[in-house]
Amino acid sequence: MKNGFLKNFYQHNGKVMGTALLVIISFWIGVLIILPQLSMLDYSLREYLPSGEVGDYTLKNYRHLIYGAEGASDPYNYVDLKVFMRTIIAAICVTIFNLILCYPIAFFLGQVAKGMKLRVFALLLIIPYWINEILRAFALKIIFGATGMINAVLIGMGILDEPFDFIRADIALYAGLGYAYILLMVFPMYNVIESLDGNQIEAARDLGAPWWRIHARIVIPYAKPGISSGATMVFMLSAGALAAPQILGGPSSLWFTQIIYQWFNDGGNWSQGAAYAIVLLTSCIIIVLAFMKLFKVNMGDIGK
Amino acid sequence: MNNLFLRVSIWVYLGIFFAYLLGPLVIMAITAFNSNGFPSVSPWECFTYAWFSELFQDERILNGIKNSIIVGIGTVIMSVTMGLAGALILTQVWPKLRATYYTIVIAPILVPGVVLGISTVVFWQRVNNWLGLGPDSILADGLFLTIIGQSTFIASYCMLVLVARLQRYDLTLNEAALDLGATHTQAFRKILLPFMMPALATSAVLAFLASFENYNTTTFTFGDYPTLTIELAQKVRYGISPAISALAFIIIVLTVFGALTNEALKRRKELQAAASGDTVKKVDGGFRLPAILSRNPAMIALIALVAVIGLSTVNAMSHNPAQCIADVKEERDMQRTLEAEANLRALAERRAAAAAARAAEAAANGEATEETAPATGGSSQTGGTGAFGNVFAPTNLDGAEEEPEAPEEAPASPFGSVFDPGNLSTAEPSGGN
Repeated sequence: MKNGFLKNFYQHNGKVMGTALLVIISFWIGVLIILPQLSMLDYSLREYLPSGEVGDYTLKNYRHLIYGAEGASDPYNYVDLKVFMRTIIAAICVTIFNLILCYPIAFFLGQVAKGMKLRVFALLLIIPYWINEILRAFALKIIFGATGMINAVLIGMGILDEPFDFIRADIALYAGLGYAYILLMVFPMYNVIESLDGNQIEAARDLGAPWWRIHARIVIPYAKPGISSGATMVFMLSAGALAAPQILGGPSSLWFTQIIYQWFNDGGNWSQGAAYAIVLLTSCIIIVLAFMKLFKVNMGDIGK
Repeated sequence: MNNLFLRVSIWVYLGIFFAYLLGPLVIMAITAFNSNGFPSVSPWECFTYAWFSELFQDERILNGIKNSIIVGIGTVIMSVTMGLAGALILTQVWPKLRATYYTIVIAPILVPGVVLGISTVVFWQRVNNWLGLGPDSILADGLFLTIIGQSTFIASYCMLVLVARLQRYDLTLNEAALDLGATHTQAFRKILLPFMMPALATSAVLAFLASFENYNTTTFTFGDYPTLTIELAQKVRYGISPAISALAFIIIVLTVFGALTNEALKRRKELQAAASGDTVKKVDGGFRLPAILSRNPAMIALIALVAVIGLSTVNAMSHNPAQCIADVKEERDMQRTLEAEANLRALAERRAAAAAARAAEAAANGEATEETAPATGGSSQTGGTGAFGNVFAPTNLDGAEEEPEAPEEAPASPFGSVFDPGNLSTAEPSGGN
């Protein structure tokens, strides 16, 4: 069977082109995608030797996340576990916040706005997306700072007496995470909603459905693939974000990726970092799959 | 009524949405022109281009830009090639394998960048050791690792763009070429590639931009070649400066410029397509340019943008922020010393008035000189110390309601503002100016 496919493939593409395509794709899938992940998994299961030699197999690195260093006073590694839970929960909250914020604009662009208006809005949406992630975080840092715009306005309006530390309260961080991935939520939803036949909405309206029921019964069920694909991307990216927590995070709070970063750069224990990265990756995948099961979405719809 | 309410709330929502989206960028861009050392808008000091020249003198930023461009070019070449191969195979792959294949090649987009960076470093380090190469081999090189790590997921973006175009490709064209005696390679080069050209260009631009702004993967792989994003992140993490705002401003302008150009060209093509159905006169008439402008708002905006950039560049040549900054600094120092000086002046006036009154008094009662002598002595003493103003001057009783202010400000005033550190530096230049 496989042989038949190969024969067919070569017939279709010719010897030179067919071979070139196969070489390139196996390099991408094999050497760039699969082998590094397996190598990281293998690495996380080994004892770390600073000399660069390969150590023996051990579950020590995973045990460290749950129970902490050997001989530690706490029975569990509360610090890292807390950061891990916080990261996951905050990423879910950011996703929900973005979903609520972006659904109306996706609907507006997909069904209401036409011609000139649509072009202008699309441009306004795209431009911020191509500004560097670091610079976007920097922009929020300027605004949320102690002498920043928001404090100045709030004090000017008499709501606050003295500057509120948004960065320490992590408000800047959540705003920054939501801000960074807002467009990844808008575009998949927009693509799907745009393809919805406007006549369906019209018909529902003619039959006397109030606007919220039109959304609940027609638009949202139709837009489910777009919603799930946007939500998946925002969740994965915010759980795996590094720039925003580093720039906007408070001094006492960490993001799980920051712990991984520390294991790699400051801590100098790559195996430990690899184990933490594997934990992050698998738990994100499990959560996404669970949500997809919950809302009955297929994997094939993601990324469309 | 309900309709009106909905309409208003939609516009309010749009306002909030775009304020959230664009507001921070606009504010950041504005702070690039404020001479205040902390990037801010509200205490506006003075309009300056100084942060731009500081930016262009920053070796690390320039080096970062260079590295970013090298990495970007490498990533574009690799990821467009792999994306094209991936797209071509997706259209041909055995249907039962398709879902699995699709999941594998899309996965890198969803895998956190941190994980991609780590796995790249770990894997190539192992390959390097396995081949017995030293730590300075190409496989451990920062540029190589960064390009490889970024291409892993950027190729997926490229593939998505290319697949969309490939789905509209007419396979019979390929067959026709083969029937007419072309080799597969020729058919690929002369038929498929030209057809794919627009999508290839789009994916190349996307790949370059994605590479340029990538942080999560690069931060593990960059080695000795920090890209611009890495340099920026380090600067932003350890203290912020308006020079970064200046860089952001340049990037924003370039982005707006690119987006408008793209939009204007697209619109122009559409207009031409629409016009090709019209009479020849309409297309080739003398009024073509204005017609294009009048129906192409993006082109107008683009021209306006170019004009503004040109004007501000000219302005930057002639604009002398030194004068302005000196003025602001002087103003700030002035403000600090103004009250003191005002008080000093008030005090001097009051003293002069008191002296005049006393002199008049002395002239009136000429014979009472023994009494006035200590009084004038007292007034000359107050001129020296002045700490208590003329509180003790016997003739000052009539101005008593002004007095309570004097003791408060007086401690600073007797020496003028000679000992004010700010005053020394600015008083001379401002006099010179």
